[in-house]
Amino acid sequence: MIPPFDYKIPKTLEEACQFLWELNGRAKMIAGGTDLVIALRNETMRPQVLIDISKIPELRSIEEMDGMISIGASVTHSEIASSSLIRRYGKVLSDATSEIGSPQIRNLGTIGGNIVNASPAADTLPPLMVLNAVGTIVSKEEKKEVPVAQLFKGPYETSLKPHEILIKMTFPKLSSEMKTSFVRLARREAMAIARVNVAIVLQMRNDLIQEIRVSLGSITPTPQRMTDAEAVLTGKKIEEELVRRASKKISEAMVHRSGVRPSTSYKAPVVESLFLRAFRKALEA
Amino acid sequence: MNQVGVEIPKVDVIDKVLGEMKFGADLPSEGFLFLKVLRSPKPHAKIISIQTEEALKVQGVERIFTAKDILGKNLVGAITKDQPVLASDRVKYIGDPVALIAARTEEIAEEAARKMVVIYEDLPAVTSPEEALKPYAPLIHEKGNLLMEFHVIKGDVQVGFKGADVIVEETYTTTWIDHAYMEPDAGVSYLDEDGRITVVCPTQNVHYDQKEVATVLDLPLEKVRIIQCATGGGFGGRLDITVQCLLALAVLHLKKRVKIIYSREEVFQVISKRHPLKIRYKSGAKKDGTLAAVEVDILGDTGAYASYGGTVAIRSAVHATGPYEVPHVRVRSQMTYTNNPWSGAMRGFGVPQMAFAHESQMDLLAKALKMDPIEIRLKNCLRIGSDTATGQTLMASVGIGETLRKMKEWRDGAAICKDDSKKPFIKKGIGVGSMWYGIGNTGIANPSTAQMEIDINGEVRLFTGVADIGQGSDTVLLQIASEAIGVSLKEIRLIRADTAVTTDAGATSASRQTYISGNALLSAIKKLKQDAIKEASGLLNIDERDLFYEEGRIKSRTCLTTSIPVKEVARRCGKMLRGEGHFDPETTRLDPETGQGAPYATYAFATHLAEVEVDTETGKVKVNRVVASHDVGKAIHPKNVIGQIMGGVAMGTGFALMEEFVPGETTSFVNYLIPTSMDIPEVIPMIVEEEEPTGPFGAKGVGEPALIPSAPAILNAIADAIGQRIYSLPANLERVLEAVQKKESITNGQLAMINDH
Repeated sequence: MIPPFDYKIPKTLEEACQFLWELNGRAKMIAGGTDLVIALRNETMRPQVLIDISKIPELRSIEEMDGMISIGASVTHSEIASSSLIRRYGKVLSDATSEIGSPQIRNLGTIGGNIVNASPAADTLPPLMVLNAVGTIVSKEEKKEVPVAQLFKGPYETSLKPHEILIKMTFPKLSSEMKTSFVRLARREAMAIARVNVAIVLQMRNDLIQEIRVSLGSITPTPQRMTDAEAVLTGKKIEEELVRRASKKISEAMVHRSGVRPSTSYKAPVVESLFLRAFRKALEA
Repeated sequence: MNQVGVEIPKVDVIDKVLGEMKFGADLPSEGFLFLKVLRSPKPHAKIISIQTEEALKVQGVERIFTAKDILGKNLVGAITKDQPVLASDRVKYIGDPVALIAARTEEIAEEAARKMVVIYEDLPAVTSPEEALKPYAPLIHEKGNLLMEFHVIKGDVQVGFKGADVIVEETYTTTWIDHAYMEPDAGVSYLDEDGRITVVCPTQNVHYDQKEVATVLDLPLEKVRIIQCATGGGFGGRLDITVQCLLALAVLHLKKRVKIIYSREEVFQVISKRHPLKIRYKSGAKKDGTLAAVEVDILGDTGAYASYGGTVAIRSAVHATGPYEVPHVRVRSQMTYTNNPWSGAMRGFGVPQMAFAHESQMDLLAKALKMDPIEIRLKNCLRIGSDTATGQTLMASVGIGETLRKMKEWRDGAAICKDDSKKPFIKKGIGVGSMWYGIGNTGIANPSTAQMEIDINGEVRLFTGVADIGQGSDTVLLQIASEAIGVSLKEIRLIRADTAVTTDAGATSASRQTYISGNALLSAIKKLKQDAIKEASGLLNIDERDLFYEEGRIKSRTCLTTSIPVKEVARRCGKMLRGEGHFDPETTRLDPETGQGAPYATYAFATHLAEVEVDTETGKVKVNRVVASHDVGKAIHPKNVIGQIMGGVAMGTGFALMEEFVPGETTSFVNYLIPTSMDIPEVIPMIVEEEEPTGPFGAKGVGEPALIPSAPAILNAIADAIGQRIYSLPANLERVLEAVQKKESITNGQLAMINDH
């Protein structure tokens, strides 16, 4: 049974910021509620006030401006999955959101919620990492831009202060030569948390890997780019042996960051394989 | 009438699709007190004190009940009564009920629960059957930790194995499985117009519930009434007492209307599970594939309470050979108590676990003998005249051979997908699994009753205690009645599963209701017809012997034009026509030493074939298609049979690949995964009808059989795909990948040896 709480529906961002400022940590924001409502029901969160940010217009849009794409925090997974802008300029993200949960969850859940829930398995985080996305954070005091990796302190823990709102994510448009892929593994075909997810952005030039960005979810406490693997590949010609070497760098990075865990013996070979698969998929994209 | 074997809409379908059916939580709550159970957070502990003072101070709390408030016997249980309604001195698993709070609202009851103080003294907990059987293990119940040991002994296995050309021996394990029925347990209770304590809730057996509630409250049976509300599945989880005694206890003391709704988390924590079994299985066969002997050791974990643990021990032993004739058999089956979650009935009473083992063994034998898996099964399968492991000679309706032949025909003619060179990491495989399943309880009385009547206004009424839990017994019983009495189905009023107006039909379990209650109904109709002929004889002034009953009319044998509708008979003679029916299948008690006897009057048989693809880099298994061939005797309602098969395959897929209740970790559907619509394979059902002469219109049962062969077929298909077998369920990502890696290391090793030469 969910303990009682107050419910505010601000119409503007300023109003929302004001509420948050006044409530000083006693409030939680709700958009889709697909994670929050579970936490309320389990009483792992007991806010006195819920601030519904799903009615603030500037948080609800996907926009293109000056070579950048921005996605409002309350945009749903379904909206991203079906957005022609995202499918053209950030397909790795629309692919990822199309595989989250189930239609009902995709219709309710939002990108902002997926980020601030800060699950290591979140499906939008590896794509946002390889898109070099930056979050815009607003509070009554200030407005700042923070790269996606710096939004997190640890699993299920963001670096946001209680009175701050993540309002949008912005990333530079991918050019048409940039290929992407998203690969996901879970225990069943729908409604399951990712066991591993992989996002890749790849640009080839004259048979050489001009640029590659790689990020995997569910293998590190907070999202990170697989820089060692990227370094192995960048500027090189594609060879099976080379790509395999890069894949080893990924399992090494996982162990380096997360330590040897009961799941490591399973995950180490699997992340390597899924990276190889994602790499091939990107090449063929 | 032609009402049997036809596809008519299920009688409850419209209400269900319109969302108008009232399930437990939908029952009225206005003016009802809400009940909440305080449960043990400890697996094994002594209760030192239960302090209710603070909780009672919460505004709106009506009363808090503890074991002291139970006036009758504070123990329930399907067979062994060892489970307290509220724990009195000790708690034996995490979730044991300790106190019951009645309050004005759910919120108040929860607040009071938080204010309760229970002082426990921890006791050492037993967490595995092996531990439970150690000489100085802590005792969970005074009589000891071994709940049941049962043997099946036929011939001499030593002689059998001596004559075998190939022997395979492996150990198989399965884990706790939740029923995952549609809706949480919930219900209401009140005093009815006659002052009876009335409980309305989902259940699989109202008459069992009535006896338990009466015993717990120390009331005569007639002071307790149980009414089954719409029930979204049971699968065995609603054979045991769930909310009934708690509701009734509150009404007894408060004389007020009360309601309870379990949360899904509570359902996962406190409702029975499928027993985890550890099965050591040794099989021997001759060169031509003929089974020579099997020796099986089964060790089960029933958790804190017996529930159906004894039944599972016996049924798993009786079914251990699978649907095959084996000359020499020795099975030892043990069921132990532990402080784990308690296990009970779960679609198959141990047979799904056994089928996983015996079907893996059959494939291992086939491989060792280089035989076709279907051929080796056909060679050994039971047929008319076969003796089972318990020495029962099967006289009729043995369709296992036919299910196998149909499957072989399908397989040999089908386009089975081969490996795709573009995806070298995907390996495809096919596997078969067969099963047999005894209909009804094992070697014990198993009766059902029913009444059929036609009143002077011509109203036709069918009374049955059978609980329809979604499987369709309401429809099937009405079909049987309509066919037998010759009155259209719509004209028959069904009165069912209310102890005040119906009589005991036994449980909706063991796939028994079509066969047993269907027969009880036919016996009622037979008597009603006799009654009708007798009355008609008076009305028509024709000797009874010259009259016969046909299609709803009493007709003269001598005069073609003389006949009278049965309803007219009731009207004209001014007397209700009525038949009381009873049926108890012919079985014999199993010998306590050797397990020999005829435990069931009839058996259902089935074979499934699964096509899978295994991702050898991740361990992910996808079941593409399952062909399911079932001998049901006679499909009274073919669509319903197919529905059972579809659901069985879905559940079997979960049992095979993902379902796993981990004590202390699994809380709800967040971490207990069952297949979604996207995980369920295409299902091709095939109905085989080897008519059972003692069955209603030849019918047997299909409820549990539908599930049982799926997991064995899937596991055999995985082994076919990757060349390595998995011995523990579920075949999850980790286990499958581990098996693939094992295969690779063996292959590499063999390559190395060849290179050495």
